[in-house]
Amino acid sequence: MAHQAHSYHMVDPSPWPIFGAAAALLTTSGLIMWFHYSSTTLLTMGLLSMLLVMLQWWRDVIRESTFQGHHTPTVQKGLRYGMILFITSEAFFFLGFFWAFFHSSLAPTPELGGQWPPTGVKPLNPLEVPLLNTAILLASGVTVTWTHHSITEGNRKQAIHALTLTILLGFYFTALQAMEYHEASFSIADSVYGSTFFVATGFHGLHVIIGSSFLTVCLLRLIKFHFTPNHHFGFEAAAWYWHFVDIIWLFLYMSMYW
Amino acid sequence: MGTWGAAQQHGKASAPVTHRAGGGGRTWRALSLLGALPAVALCMANVMLQQRHHRPARPTFVPYHHLRIRTKPFPWGDGTHTLFHNPRTNALPSGYEQ
Repeated sequence: MAHQAHSYHMVDPSPWPIFGAAAALLTTSGLIMWFHYSSTTLLTMGLLSMLLVMLQWWRDVIRESTFQGHHTPTVQKGLRYGMILFITSEAFFFLGFFWAFFHSSLAPTPELGGQWPPTGVKPLNPLEVPLLNTAILLASGVTVTWTHHSITEGNRKQAIHALTLTILLGFYFTALQAMEYHEASFSIADSVYGSTFFVATGFHGLHVIIGSSFLTVCLLRLIKFHFTPNHHFGFEAAAWYWHFVDIIWLFLYMSMYW
Repeated sequence: MGTWGAAQQHGKASAPVTHRAGGGGRTWRALSLLGALPAVALCMANVMLQQRHHRPARPTFVPYHHLRIRTKPFPWGDGTHTLFHNPRTNALPSGYEQ
């Protein structure tokens, strides 16, 4: 019987890291082929392999933790550090796009008509759908906290209800944003206003979709009894990510919509 | 999950970064069902009321140089339509399509 004189997890050899790197190469070169040579083959291969690597790698993490018991408190601490560092890096990612927005909007050039929004751009009314979207994300932050308390208190039924509500709110936000994107009178090609608006809100929307997917996986795991009242880090990580997405939206709403 | 009880505290890791002060499941359930969701419903009603006003006439087309930029074609369709193009509200560089 194998023993280890430490509380860390020495992971078994795995093909997913190198396959993930290959997927990244296929995706990036695939984008080049699509943009410059109108071919989508490499891009499709890249996105497909990326999806398969994610599914199988994270499936393996669940196997190692929930089913094989390798996630000691020490291992969990490392995962907490990791998730916090990752979310911090995402904050810096968005910081760049906010920088670009303030660079162009605080001192609008003559080419834009010396004003912000630029001449000819009719911005969205912040008190209509964007306000609703703000309420939706804030509400989902409350329901995900309800979920967490339900899990720690061992209340299975309420945890499932609360997490389902959270995910539905996330889907509602995405649907409303997609509708806003279609209805807006300005596009990404409408001066730096369109560029900053759609790139920042677009990446935010992508993160909402990622967060919703993460929460959905947690819901499936919750239903399948993977979590205990004292050990449910996968859910905590998803909840942290979701709060981050909410906070980014608040900054977007305050700076770009208002 | 059943009731594991307070005896299982030894495995408890530190609280999440976004720890909020304030009660347990009952409190957050109340906040969700009596606070957050009604607020969403109010905002929904607000949107529906505001959108009752018929859509204002779309602005006259002026071929500003800083708008409808087409430095290179989009890699889809005919290359001149943005991804979420709306023929009613989005003009092309040459003007509205409809």
